[in-house]
Amino acid sequence: MELEDVPGQLLKALEPISRLGGNIQSIMHQRERKTPLGRVPVMLVFEVADRVRLNRILAALRARGVRVTQLGEREGAVRATALLIGHIIHTDIRDTIDRLNALKGVMVSDLSLAMGDIGKESTARMTITANDEKRANVAISNLQRIADRKKLLMITSLEVG
Amino acid sequence: MMRIVLIGFGNLGRGLSRAFIQKAGFLRETHGLVPRVVAAVDKFGAAVDEKGLNLVRLLNAAENKGTVAAHEGGKRGKTALDIIDNVEADVVYELTQTNIKTGEPGLTHIKRAMLARKHVITSNKGPLAVAFRELDSLAKKCGVEFRYSASVGGAVPVIGLARKLLAGNEIQEIRGVLNGTTNYILTRMSTEGAPFEIVLREAQELGIAEKDPTLDIKGIDTACKITILANSILGMNAKLSDVRVIGIDRISPEAIRLAREAGQTIKLIGIARRGLLEVGPKLVPLGHPLAVSGTLNAVTFELDLAREISIAGFGAGPKETSSSLLGDLIDIHRALGG
Repeated sequence: MELEDVPGQLLKALEPISRLGGNIQSIMHQRERKTPLGRVPVMLVFEVADRVRLNRILAALRARGVRVTQLGEREGAVRATALLIGHIIHTDIRDTIDRLNALKGVMVSDLSLAMGDIGKESTARMTITANDEKRANVAISNLQRIADRKKLLMITSLEVG
Repeated sequence: MMRIVLIGFGNLGRGLSRAFIQKAGFLRETHGLVPRVVAAVDKFGAAVDEKGLNLVRLLNAAENKGTVAAHEGGKRGKTALDIIDNVEADVVYELTQTNIKTGEPGLTHIKRAMLARKHVITSNKGPLAVAFRELDSLAKKCGVEFRYSASVGGAVPVIGLARKLLAGNEIQEIRGVLNGTTNYILTRMSTEGAPFEIVLREAQELGIAEKDPTLDIKGIDTACKITILANSILGMNAKLSDVRVIGIDRISPEAIRLAREAGQTIKLIGIARRGLLEVGPKLVPLGHPLAVSGTLNAVTFELDLAREISIAGFGAGPKETSSSLLGDLIDIHRALGG
């Protein structure tokens, strides 16, 4: 999208997205690449549950005078969350992530760690983003095998079969 | 009139007796049912009166003297099998303690009662987890009714809901929070941020967890219930050893916190579907029907027509469980045309 180079414009664009159920993932604000009309190009990535919501957000943006210049969509990205409990660091979390990222159409998109006291187990929360449900399931069963080998307790979502 | 024998007079037997006293008028007027307890047995002895025991005095004997045998005319040393074989009765309640390895003594009590042509109601998970198919077909062969609602979910009518009200559906999956002790522990860890060991000790002090909490925290109690549900609702021939079990003893408050930050909580969930019997900690979205707190139990059925049905309620306690025990009696009364 292109925004006027005056204060408050970015907020004006973000507000309807979050209000209408969009989950903003990244914002790239490119001030050095102003358009001939002096507008600032902004690239936004957000996630939304369905097309109806997306259309509502686009309409709200237009109503506020935000110029959407380009729209790219990737449908059906699937996210799965899992907890790992055990000696996360000692069993090389880097290796665990690399193995998942090596799968086609799969990416570890978020990782949070809570360290246990010395000698106690730690916990990691991992979010895996996959192109579709099948790939997400492959990633989860791969993670389960890795967890079993590294003696980590893996807790998956109720909905994951 | 229904002549009743109570085998086992611990918390559940006493809770049921109180319900008989409290609801005598209601049972007679609403259901045309007059329960008459003709014998009660505990491990020390028995009290028998074919004209009907006075339940207030029976409760006093058990609470003040430690055994039903202290009731007027009671006999120390009389066993459950003596009573089952020799006392004229319509229904035997088997309410002794659960043994998940052998199912005994409950298993023998139930079989002998059936062979003596007495209907059986039980809360005892042991015999059901060990020998469900055998007991189910023995009941049919002997032409007696067999009910076990109280064995899963306490007051929550899991089995009755599935077998009666959802009878038009194919049940594809059953999943649930089936153990109040572990759910209490996970809830307290979540609200207090306290470690597992501390919360477990608190639960033991409150009498929510047993002195030896192994069966609960290792998920074995839930696995027993999953076995019973698989057999009684899904028509499987499952054994306890068929259930893949993980307990909650590795769950830390940090794990629950990380789950919460992602809008989830951790619950010990039992899952039964054809080809998969499993118990383990799972991430459950906050606000999900299974995200119940404290000692509550909750069950979700996945169905072909109704899609999803969930129920929740109190999974333990003598008064709450007497709801299921009494419900079974009324159900038998109706089945017999009463």
